[in-house]
Amino acid sequence: MPPAITVQDLRKAYRFPRRRAGPFGALRGLIDPEFTELTAVAGVSFDIAPGERVAIIGPNGAGKSTTLKMLCGVLEPSAGAASVLGLVPWRQRTALARLIGVVFGQRSQLWTELPVRDSFALLRRVYDQPADTFAHRRDALVERFGIGALLAQPVNRLSLGQRMRCEIVASLLHGPRLLFLDEPTIGLDVTAKAAIRDFIREQSLREGQTVVLTSHDTRDIELVCERVIVINAGRIVLDQPTDQLRGRFMARKLVRLQSLAPSLNLALDGVTRRPSEPHVTILEIDTRRARVDAVIAAALALGGIEDVTIEDPPMEEVIHEIYAALDR
Amino acid sequence: MRSTPPWTADLSSVAHTAAALAAAYRVGLASALAAWPVLLGRAVFYGVCLTILGAFWGKVAAEHLPGTLAARLPAGGLGRYVGVTELITLSVTTIQLRLEDELRSGALEPHLLRPKHYLAQTLAGEAGGMSARFAVLGAAGLALLAATGGPWPSVSALAGVVVLAVLGAFVGVLLFTLVGLTAFWLRRVLPALLITQKLIFLLGGLFAPIALYPPWLHAIAVATPFAAHIAFAGEAMLAPSWTQFARALAAQLAWIAVLGALAALMWRAGLAKTLREGV
Repeated sequence: MPPAITVQDLRKAYRFPRRRAGPFGALRGLIDPEFTELTAVAGVSFDIAPGERVAIIGPNGAGKSTTLKMLCGVLEPSAGAASVLGLVPWRQRTALARLIGVVFGQRSQLWTELPVRDSFALLRRVYDQPADTFAHRRDALVERFGIGALLAQPVNRLSLGQRMRCEIVASLLHGPRLLFLDEPTIGLDVTAKAAIRDFIREQSLREGQTVVLTSHDTRDIELVCERVIVINAGRIVLDQPTDQLRGRFMARKLVRLQSLAPSLNLALDGVTRRPSEPHVTILEIDTRRARVDAVIAAALALGGIEDVTIEDPPMEEVIHEIYAALDR
Repeated sequence: MRSTPPWTADLSSVAHTAAALAAAYRVGLASALAAWPVLLGRAVFYGVCLTILGAFWGKVAAEHLPGTLAARLPAGGLGRYVGVTELITLSVTTIQLRLEDELRSGALEPHLLRPKHYLAQTLAGEAGGMSARFAVLGAAGLALLAATGGPWPSVSALAGVVVLAVLGAFVGVLLFTLVGLTAFWLRRVLPALLITQKLIFLLGGLFAPIALYPPWLHAIAVATPFAAHIAFAGEAMLAPSWTQFARALAAQLAWIAVLGALAALMWRAGLAKTLREGV
């Protein structure tokens, strides 16, 4: 079976006019313009198989969103080639639009003043869906995503988590074979994030959809994707199964304890202490060597704990570790 | 074996496009009606404008100033003119702000990931919003006319005015679409908007009926899309005639074709720039 996505040496460089200083800078810029070139993607190549769930991760400005935009067809590359479901995205954008679903975490594709149901009805017309096929698919998705009670509400009255569930349903209404998700859990609370991850994974498994996801949240990657492509400074620095990455770089948790005492005397195997202000203790737990619940239990046993927070290490740290490992 | 005629695919595509445009129109209409407090406020504002400007122009007409069109007008005629011109002005949606926002903020991207033409869908939606405003303001204007006991135009004259006013409002939507599309190249569309608004004010007959202008300025005004936007419908209310109606209708349709083609060209150039350079 041919790959769902093939990318060969894809590059994107932006050229900006440079602004000159001084009162006549703008005028000089018009007569004798100077440009600055910024390389966003410096040559990436990979294949993604049909039905595969792949995360493209990297720090801010790494080039992951630029790569995703080129694969969706809303940005032309400076060089290189790509094929998505047999189409060249930036040349066959409209044809590709019928085959893919896209969710931008920070942008809504729904009509904010209208009830969700009306947005869905308009999308049926936009994608030329037969009424019965559409109704069948919509009803199934509405039930699966548990948004039946939201259909009559205007989009601008939904919580972010509710809206994101509706956005994902909207992206699936035309039965796409491939789903691009750009930061789908950004800004959501823990419960909403978990729900979204479950929906995406189950939907992909059920329908055999290929999923390409970008995220800053390591849990999105662990729980949804089976493969991770790490991009930094426009280049792929790592491409491997999530299981391997998890074992090497995601086996850590940060536990933040707020206490009455200025500091806590807690020494456990697999636990290191990070610098913090008084009354706050930040513990880094190697989950291969210590259990998070055991560490918290030990801390609570000391008494005087006012608050406990469990976090994943920020993506920047994971990338830093990956770099450090590659350098070794 | 029977083969499918080639035009059936084209017809199906046209039917799908028309259905999508109709759906966008309905969404625009529904959105405008859903924001009914805004519509109501707009109707009140329209009523205030008509009361003040109607009284002012009524006074001008009553003076029967020699050498001006006002001398030949029945009392209240200019009030009805203002009623039509303000109806058109207040019915036109702020499409330029929507375009500016979506083109500059990157909100355009989700729309580009759909198989239907963004600009056509947007125009259909704005036409829906415009229709809602036009209907509500039109009803408010007629109610005001009835309340003030003003002379009623004939049914045929009123029908002609409605046709020219609707087309005039759409000419306005297209003019402001061009303003909005400058956002592909300009950081802010405000300068282009201010210039357009001033030209509408002066050459479109919003300031005063262009029939009152000197002949050379009148000739310039009627040759612009600004008169097709405002003045033609207003003048049809002042002095209805089938010849004038046919001439105005032809000019409006021609301007809709020209402005639509210009918008399509600007969209194409701007989209190519966006796909090349990003937002």
